Amino acid sequence: MSATPRVLIVEDEAAIRQFVRLALEADACQVIEAATLADGLARAGEGGLDLVVLDLGLPDGDGIDFVRAYRAWSEGPVLILSARVEENRKIDALDAGADDYLTKPFGVGELRARARALMRRRPRGEQLPPVIEFGEVVVDLSRRQVLRRGEPVHLTPIEYRLLAMMLAHPGQVLTQRKLLADIWGPSYVESSHYLRIYVGHLRQKLEDDPAQPRHFLTETGIGYRFQPAP
Amino acid sequence: MVLSALACVLVAIVAAPLREVLDLANMVMLFLLTVLVVAVSLGRNPAILASVLGVLLFDIFFVPPHFSLAVSNLQYLITFAVMLATALITGHLTATLREQAAQAERRERRTHALYEIASKLAGALSQAQVEEIVLPFVAEEFSGKCRLLLAEQEVPGDLPGEGLAPDHVARVIETGVRHLDRQSACTLYLPLKAPMRVRGVLVVRTDEAPDEADLAFFEALASLAAIAVERLHYVEVAQRSEVDMATERLRSSILSALSHDLRTPLTVLIGLADSISLAVPELPAPAEARIAAFGDQARRLAGLVGNLLEMARLNAGSVKLRLEWQSLEEVVGSSLKLVGDAFGRHRLRVELPRDLPLLRFDAVLIERVLCNLLENAAKYSPADGDILIAARSLPDFVELSVSDDGAGFPESMIGEAGDMFVRGHGESSIPGTGLGLAICRAIVDAHGGRLRIARAPSGGACVVVCLPRGEPPQIEPEPA
Repeated sequence: MSATPRVLIVEDEAAIRQFVRLALEADACQVIEAATLADGLARAGEGGLDLVVLDLGLPDGDGIDFVRAYRAWSEGPVLILSARVEENRKIDALDAGADDYLTKPFGVGELRARARALMRRRPRGEQLPPVIEFGEVVVDLSRRQVLRRGEPVHLTPIEYRLLAMMLAHPGQVLTQRKLLADIWGPSYVESSHYLRIYVGHLRQKLEDDPAQPRHFLTETGIGYRFQPAP
Repeated sequence: MVLSALACVLVAIVAAPLREVLDLANMVMLFLLTVLVVAVSLGRNPAILASVLGVLLFDIFFVPPHFSLAVSNLQYLITFAVMLATALITGHLTATLREQAAQAERRERRTHALYEIASKLAGALSQAQVEEIVLPFVAEEFSGKCRLLLAEQEVPGDLPGEGLAPDHVARVIETGVRHLDRQSACTLYLPLKAPMRVRGVLVVRTDEAPDEADLAFFEALASLAAIAVERLHYVEVAQRSEVDMATERLRSSILSALSHDLRTPLTVLIGLADSISLAVPELPAPAEARIAAFGDQARRLAGLVGNLLEMARLNAGSVKLRLEWQSLEEVVGSSLKLVGDAFGRHRLRVELPRDLPLLRFDAVLIERVLCNLLENAAKYSPADGDILIAARSLPDFVELSVSDDGAGFPESMIGEAGDMFVRGHGESSIPGTGLGLAICRAIVDAHGGRLRIARAPSGGACVVVCLPRGEPPQIEPEPA
């Protein structure tokens, strides 16, 4: 991340662009605005972006097309803005490579938190630290060992793979489809009940109160998010 | 009959003068010829009469002694017997032949008629037209009356002329077996058996009882009519669903336009209110407080608009449930996180059994139900009150309840009934429209569940959501 992070906002509503700009400039970001998909892609093509904030409904096309095009040359983080009722479009955008989403209407606090988390993110390809701590849990990836309050916790191989995958994407939404395909295989993408059961196991083994998880969060209708520090 | 007798007498009179010229054997031949002619032209019974009469006349006029039934030589008795037998057999065979020819002709005519009806029915555009095609034909061919009754329509009490029995009609539609009612005139109830199901009844009333050939013909007619009626039915279904789809598209496009148009200014309001507090230099404290209140109201408005749009979508039937096997614990967790801010100093207890089965529901919608119930509980109970989320597993349902220790619902609301926009507490100072509960009910109903309003042991409000249990899919055990 450069000294002044550069953020591109692709959004057709000028008023929304305005307050997103205000919020991000308060975090010392340099903000570039685009009102259309075409303009957005042109600006993104100039390079050097640390974050793209993208509205899904643009006058000249679908935000998903932007994500697909952008992913052709950049691994940079993309934050989606979308309406509540559009679960399917959010999932499609996330599966296409977007990193996180915000549901309209959203507060400035949420926006800044998500933007910071995405810009802080470890660049893709960089290795995970071998030991990760969250809450009372310590995961030693090099020794495949999980400790809770100092006591070893037994995880089955699938539970461990699920945990490792979530740890590898801290603060990020992982869609159901992606989790199922990576851990169980492509033929399981519709078998979401596996996820319910196994995420339930992880919560029971690693959370204080499985009904009010602090680390393994559900993004209802979309997927899961691992939150290292609540 | 009279004609047949006349023919025999005529032959006798003509032949009598020739008695001396012609041999008796030739006379017999003349009478047999008469029987043959009578059989061909008049049919079986006249032929029998002619046979018997011929033998008698032959005896009286030609066998000595003349003008008497007496016989001079007993050998003539053999002649009579052979003559009678020959006449009867000839007459019978000829008459049968004649009948068969007539039957064949009638069959051909009917086959032709059926063919014509079939081609006309293929072009029929309405049920009235089907009737118009079938009725005149039955009237012409059988001089009978008939009526087409369709299963979807009310059974009218009267067939032109006389009443017909609605219970026969109902039974024929149910069983698909034809019924012949022989009281007064013959009334035949034929099922309109189409490939998919019995579409109605063709009622035919004739003066004479129909024979096997007639029945077969009516059956064929009924099945032609049935196919035409079924075809029309599906044409109608297709048209209706096309109209429905167009209406549906319109409705959901209006809703999504409306939701976009409402959401955008609300997003801007909330965003701008929030970003004012980022201003440098900082605003004076009273202004900050006013801006915060402004933002809160905008958020509340957004929640309200969200609920209204959700209700509109549910009512318009444009919500397609995304049913997946879900964990109730997970949805409780995500709802608690979403409404976390609503709980001030409330003490929250979650009592979920560890062995709850997965349930098949739309997680986003059920999360909405729980959020609404939790927000209500937080709103209508004392600030430091207890809120309890509990679940229990029953044989066919899983019950999830949210209860608080506030004032509870009034007696009139307890139970399973419920209207839209009914508030528990009249015009109180607590904001809300009662819309939340109506949405909860609509969502739970859409899942085939029930929402029940009850009283918590503490006297507070308790809302119970029953969701049906299914057979969750198997999980392949993990190789150890």
